[in-house]
Amino acid sequence: MALVAAAATAWWEGGLGRDQASAHDSVLAVIGLGFLATALAGVGRQAVPSSQWVKGPFALRRHLADARASALGAAIWTVLVLAVIGWDLNSFVHQEHDLPTLSSILGHLTASQPGRAVVFFGWLLLGGAIALGWRRPR
Amino acid sequence: MATAAVSPGGVVWIVLGAALVGWGTFSAMRPGLPGPIALIRWFTQSWLGRVLALCAWGGAGWHVFCQRP
Repeated sequence: MALVAAAATAWWEGGLGRDQASAHDSVLAVIGLGFLATALAGVGRQAVPSSQWVKGPFALRRHLADARASALGAAIWTVLVLAVIGWDLNSFVHQEHDLPTLSSILGHLTASQPGRAVVFFGWLLLGGAIALGWRRPR
Repeated sequence: MATAAVSPGGVVWIVLGAALVGWGTFSAMRPGLPGPIALIRWFTQSWLGRVLALCAWGGAGWHVFCQRP
């Protein structure tokens, strides 16, 4: 049911332009709902305290010895994400036609209603997972 | 014969995208390796991580759907 509602919202949003006030209002409303859902669903249900989470990456050396494949996988993810950020920054700084930014590529993808709707639907799913996913049982 | 013109920067994006999809698929299928879901789950372990991820998600959404010229 939630997926159907998300798909319908995404299709409606896909028909809006990025300069329209209704597009701004709906995106802001979704962001606000995301934070509200996080707060309401999350009280006392986080897996680890924030202080422990912050220290997590610094335990990498110990973790590497414990679970080599897992640590190597995390390192590859880090390299890939940093490569995307670095290349995007490089393209942004040079501002050349031959160096499209991630933003301009997404701009092409979201220029049509189906494209904008599909990207919006993915964004809704990701937001839902971040806001509500992986809670400790009450 | 028509050929699609891809800029040099576009080629780098294709390589990066292929690497992300390839590694994401491979890691998702191999037990013991952190896949793309594990990457998101890592952020949702704590309040701080979840709020940081939400801020990034909201900022990206605002940029893509409301700002991108």
